[in-house]
Amino acid sequence: CTKDFQEINTDPESSTTIQPAYVFTKAQYDGAKNNLILLLGTMQYTTSFNDVAGFGSKYVSSQSQQSMAQFSNAYYQEINELALVINAVKNDPEQVNLLASARIWRAYCFSRITDLYGDIPYTEAAQGYTNSNYKPAYDPQRSIYLDMLKELDESASGLNAAKATFGQADLIYAGNTVKWKKFAYSLMLRLGMRLTKVDAALAETWVKKAIAGGVITDDADIAKINYMSAGQDINKNPIALSLYNSDYIKADGNSNPEGGKYQNTFITYMKNNKDPRLGILSVVYVNGVADTSMAIQKGMPATLSAKPTDFVTYSEPNQKTVLALGGAKLIYTTAETNFLLAEAVLRGWYTGGTATTLYESGIRAAMKQWAIIAPSDGIISDLQINTYIKYHPLNTTGTFDAQMQQIYTEYWLAAFPDAQEAFASYRRTGYPTLVPVNYVGNATGGRIFRRMLYPLSEQNLNRASLDAAIARQGADDFMTRIWWDKL
Amino acid sequence: RNVAHVNGIKAQSLSDNKLSLKTALQLIKTRFDIKIAYKAGILENKDSNLTETQLMAFGDAKTALTFALNGSSLDFNKISESQYIIINTQAGNAADVIKGTIFSASDNLPLIGATVYIKGTKTGASTDAQGQFSITIPNELAGKPITLSIASVGYETLEFPVNDFKTPISIKLKESASSLNDVVVTALGIKRDSKALGYAVTEVKGSEFTQARENNVANALTGKIAGVNATGLSTGPGGSSRVIIRGNGSFNGNNQPLYVVNGMPIDNSVPGGAATTNGLATNVDRGDGISSINPDDIESITVLKGGTAAALYGSRASNGVILITTKKGVKQKGIGVEYNTTFTIENAINDNDYQYEYGQGLGGVKPMTKNDAIATGRLSFGAKIDGSDYVAADGLTHPYSAVKDNIKNFYSTGTNFTNTIAFSGGTDGIIYRLSLSDLDSKGIISSTRFKRQTANLNINAKITDKIKVEGLAQYNLEKGFGRTLAGDALGNPNWTPYEVANTVDVRWLAPGYDAAGNQTPWNDAGIATNGYFVINKYQQNDVKNRFIGQGSITYDIVKNFQLKGVISRDFYNYNYVNILPTGDIYIPKGQYSGIKSDVSETNSLITGNYKNRIADKIGISILGGANSRRFENKQLNMDGNTFTIPFFYSYKNLATSSTIPTYQRIRTNSVFGSADVDYKSILFLTYTARNDWFSTLSPDNNSILYQSVGGSFVVSDAFKLPSSIDILRVRASWAEVGGGAADPYRINLSYSNVPSSGQPLQNVTTNDITNPNLKPYTSTTYEAGVELKMFKGRLGLDFTAYSRKTTDDILNAAISSTSGYNNAVLNVGELSNKGIEFLLTGTPVQGNKFGWNISYNVAYNKSEVLKLVEGTTTFEMARTVGNWGYINQTVGSAYGTIVGTRMLRNEAGQIVYNSTTKRPVATGLQELGNGVAPLTMGLTQDFRFGNFNLNFLIDGKFGNKVLSIKEVYATRLGLLKSTLPGRENGLTISGVDQAGNPYSALIPVSDLRAYYNDMRNYSELFVHDGSFIKLRQAILSYNIPVKKLDFLKIQSASISFVARNILTFYKKTDNFDPESSFTNGNAQGFESIGLPRTRTFGLNLMVKF
Repeated sequence: CTKDFQEINTDPESSTTIQPAYVFTKAQYDGAKNNLILLLGTMQYTTSFNDVAGFGSKYVSSQSQQSMAQFSNAYYQEINELALVINAVKNDPEQVNLLASARIWRAYCFSRITDLYGDIPYTEAAQGYTNSNYKPAYDPQRSIYLDMLKELDESASGLNAAKATFGQADLIYAGNTVKWKKFAYSLMLRLGMRLTKVDAALAETWVKKAIAGGVITDDADIAKINYMSAGQDINKNPIALSLYNSDYIKADGNSNPEGGKYQNTFITYMKNNKDPRLGILSVVYVNGVADTSMAIQKGMPATLSAKPTDFVTYSEPNQKTVLALGGAKLIYTTAETNFLLAEAVLRGWYTGGTATTLYESGIRAAMKQWAIIAPSDGIISDLQINTYIKYHPLNTTGTFDAQMQQIYTEYWLAAFPDAQEAFASYRRTGYPTLVPVNYVGNATGGRIFRRMLYPLSEQNLNRASLDAAIARQGADDFMTRIWWDKL
Repeated sequence: RNVAHVNGIKAQSLSDNKLSLKTALQLIKTRFDIKIAYKAGILENKDSNLTETQLMAFGDAKTALTFALNGSSLDFNKISESQYIIINTQAGNAADVIKGTIFSASDNLPLIGATVYIKGTKTGASTDAQGQFSITIPNELAGKPITLSIASVGYETLEFPVNDFKTPISIKLKESASSLNDVVVTALGIKRDSKALGYAVTEVKGSEFTQARENNVANALTGKIAGVNATGLSTGPGGSSRVIIRGNGSFNGNNQPLYVVNGMPIDNSVPGGAATTNGLATNVDRGDGISSINPDDIESITVLKGGTAAALYGSRASNGVILITTKKGVKQKGIGVEYNTTFTIENAINDNDYQYEYGQGLGGVKPMTKNDAIATGRLSFGAKIDGSDYVAADGLTHPYSAVKDNIKNFYSTGTNFTNTIAFSGGTDGIIYRLSLSDLDSKGIISSTRFKRQTANLNINAKITDKIKVEGLAQYNLEKGFGRTLAGDALGNPNWTPYEVANTVDVRWLAPGYDAAGNQTPWNDAGIATNGYFVINKYQQNDVKNRFIGQGSITYDIVKNFQLKGVISRDFYNYNYVNILPTGDIYIPKGQYSGIKSDVSETNSLITGNYKNRIADKIGISILGGANSRRFENKQLNMDGNTFTIPFFYSYKNLATSSTIPTYQRIRTNSVFGSADVDYKSILFLTYTARNDWFSTLSPDNNSILYQSVGGSFVVSDAFKLPSSIDILRVRASWAEVGGGAADPYRINLSYSNVPSSGQPLQNVTTNDITNPNLKPYTSTTYEAGVELKMFKGRLGLDFTAYSRKTTDDILNAAISSTSGYNNAVLNVGELSNKGIEFLLTGTPVQGNKFGWNISYNVAYNKSEVLKLVEGTTTFEMARTVGNWGYINQTVGSAYGTIVGTRMLRNEAGQIVYNSTTKRPVATGLQELGNGVAPLTMGLTQDFRFGNFNLNFLIDGKFGNKVLSIKEVYATRLGLLKSTLPGRENGLTISGVDQAGNPYSALIPVSDLRAYYNDMRNYSELFVHDGSFIKLRQAILSYNIPVKKLDFLKIQSASISFVARNILTFYKKTDNFDPESSFTNGNAQGFESIGLPRTRTFGLNLMVKF
């Protein structure tokens, strides 16, 4: 009487076999939407008068849990998806490119998590199904970094243009193995450079290796995902969608449910420096119409605790560029390569160009990238760019620090809206120089976060592993420094 | 002494000292202290065939009489334990024998063991297994008018004048109000004498649900039955119930009992699932399956609490069974008509104990502009309330005065109007009952409405003497409008009246929208929707078409052997649409959620039943059967956002939309059997066995055989006890129940497409780790009890102790998401529930004019989590909005522990402060209390004075804790009295710092709001004792003396004044009702700003024609 039970207990709406390409596409979308939006406030691009939405810029202690989902979601989304893909293709020599792309993307995804939290489950992560490991151990960040760099190295060399690829299922490069290789070495450059504070020698090794391998220097090679302005939410630019839904959907400058605006630090800086990006990124609503005139742009202070009467007069993201749901999300840019290489020159690790040319190329690429994001509304002319560069030359006679400040202040402008990467760069270099907000009831003693808190659920579900990580790394506190951020 | 062996009797030749029959009967009378009646002369010249020695060896009167009369033409009838009558079996002509059958009026089933006397004589008989009796009329009464007096325990004694001696008579006995519940409906609808049962059973009459009625009949079980923990939810009309019998037996599977109507299970699911503790948008209680049952159709509800009781229903009965027997027709001339109407009104109860010293505002300042008023719409950190002018969120100037009754201002009066008309009738061959019912409820939120129309038809027909058929059809049309959202703030209208600043009259925020249809803001958080906007613009409609059909055929193949086949199908189709409208502040372009589902539960059952008595001493009943259960749920979830044409709410008008199909199928096949044996109706034994095959389990492990044994010993029949004792019996049982996984597709990993507008996407179907080795869980119950009835039923005691253990529970265990999954489906864990139940019934006063009945029940259940996943001591079941509290299962603790943070204290008890933040340091997660009340009780009293009847029910629950989200917010917003310190000159905090040095700091008035806002980080502040005692129900009814109104042809009529949730005598929660739950899921222990509890008053009229 049980002969048809197996059929009855098989879900007719789901498939018993995996399509690695489809899962990989999902993992790309999920990895690309792993953005801790609150860091836009921390990096002083945006703020809100409201405590809850303004947590990133005000560090209000009662909102400490806001960063927690970021951690949890990453594991059961992109990390697990990539584990599924890797398990499905790893034993087939014909699928080396699929394996390599998945490993490179996994290194990127893991770096996003570990840079926020420090020690995280890495080696044992996403083995719930395969190994019944429900309580993965946390790996020290140092070994995570070493392994990510090794992964990038191995994957880059494993790519083979003669073998099959993910093709169109690969949203970033449509299966182009040459570009994947550049992306791998570019990530190696980024991650290698992260180590300058904690282990300069190690940093140098990897930076040199990355440069030798060939990094992204042409906009045609940048790692990005193109999105759609209509359709399912997963197909829309995740940062734009998040901002749009939380605050800017009405596009009238006033009825922002979460009270969001640009922060004065960001707008004032661009305004004072006559940055041509200001009119591309920012608008003020005048009688309900978006106005990009530089003169009326104004950022909101992060110190407010209630909606100001002049709320409508503050700048907010431009619907046509920053908030364009169909705009591309840039994962790794030529601007970043140029700024990192400029630093490498300053450190004497690279001689393929001068700091000045690399710095200027960085600015140029950073301005040009808005036309990649928003082809018709993000165009900044060469004249505007050249004028800006002319008035912002790299002070090559200045100290190392002075030049680093220039480079990484420009990188802060270039990274927007990827606040998570800006946050990492800020912690490593100390630039841009940001004045912390000292808001009542803040959790950090009026200092800028150094990391995010582990989810409370880990106390409940993975206590021993978590305790071991805390014992190694320091208290689970916003001000505890992660390994590569150690002074 | 040499005692002759009974078997040897017949072999013996007549000896010289054989006794005459007359002498033998004299000896039996003396020996057993009984009375024996006989017609003068019938004993003459008859011998007993027994010697004195033989006679004296018999253990009881019945056996002695049987042997004494053996071989004679005489027989005897037992009239009572101490009275027998000798009858002449050959005394032939019909004229002096009265024959007939006694039925129970309520269900038309034969009454076994009823006594029938000729009035004024000792002549009588008791009815047999077919309810039949036969009385020989004594000679001296021949030709005289005869009246029969018929009595049976639990029924009203009836006097019946006999006019026609030739035709067998048929008499129906009405059940008496003070029923001793001697006959109860047990598993598979079998009626059994309660003294035969090895487990505790409680029956509640349908009439207890129809006067002071609850829309959901399960809610009306509150306080009525020991060990049954029933809770109505604060979700408005049409909402669900949560009923837990003897504690929660499963960690996160279904813990509610199986509902069975006339012997067949019905579906009790909530379409789209139960509301969660922190959900948004569609997080609403859409009503459960039991809420479809019309109380007027219920004849009785029997609660089978133990595992033995449930063994025959299989795994889903491991949480107990609630058997509902519906009313049937009665054979009568013409058509009987019953009409019942109830109209009640309900009003919100204001539980707020807020502060009214400082009004709206921030930093000690009251708002003077509309903008400031909106910014501080929920903040009461303003100036001292002084009656001066200020500007509120509506932009108008109002007095700065306390507004204490925003609950009354915001909520309307709810109404419930129910009308039921039932027709019944029948002939010898066929009886029927048809009822039509209409329920129309308006909630206390004025847009909430729930309508339920029910038609219920029951037909019983006798095709031949041997074949009977029964059919039941129920059709429900249920419509819900504007059900109230639960959990988080978005679209939850209750947040507005509960959180609005204390100087604002909530009505100033009406109608909640402007001329363009957009929401008007009232506070700084867009997610806290204006309650009036919710009432006026949010839309939520659902329609459920439900059909419950049952057909059965019973075939008496040979004497004592019966075959029965039943097919039942419970089917509903459900359509739900939830519109979050254009113009909402938080989601300005709107959102759409729809559920369409077709759910069916089909059961096919066949049973064979053999009954016999051997040598009049041993009763045997054997039952065997097979059942097949099919469950299907075909569901479409249609979700989307952004209405491209504003204010036009169509799925086709969505910019982004997706339709996700779900198709669940479950099959369970079973064979089962039971054997009942009794020895002289004194000692009873029952054995059951069942084997289930579950489609939801691993093919290697999908079968389980489980058994139960129960026994009952009627001490009062076995031994001679003081005459004040009616019944004393002890019972005990052991039962095992095995169960499968509640959900299908938990065996193999599968992959599903993810909606995408671009490249196709795929992922694992769920983030639950499937388990290819999933095997059945078992639940084992031991129980023992004593039942005592004294003083002719005027005092009753019933005591039960039980122990129930669940092993290998099928757990959807939360695991660290770093494993790549959020849950794992595991066969783990052990859960124990031990408890006692006590029932006391009494009739202190029993007079013609005045009567007083009392029933008191109390139950204590101690649950303990014994084992979880290997190496784990705790797992999470649910969390609140904002993660301020969790419900965990922790080894060594009770089921469902509330977990949260406390303020860190040093050994001296001083608070440890973080000197940087000026806030107490929060501890890690700690246990804060148990979310489920271990101690429950109920007291019902019934006073009768002439035609007036006054009934009231007091019930209480004790020993649980509740974490109040309302208090979290009321603290953050400055509404609670605990936020008063420091309002004038700032708050000085003192304790120690993290280094252990004395620490003190001043929180200035300007920072008070932030300080109290941060109190949310210490969950302990909001956890309170959930104990309460309530006056749950009162009914004052008047039986209209219809005899005086003969011309109306009314058989009976009564009118009642009814009230529910009248008073709370005792509670420990200052700001909320301890029963404020908003989900019938397993995570209990959170209050989360649901609808306020309501007090209900009304009238009920019942007329029978």
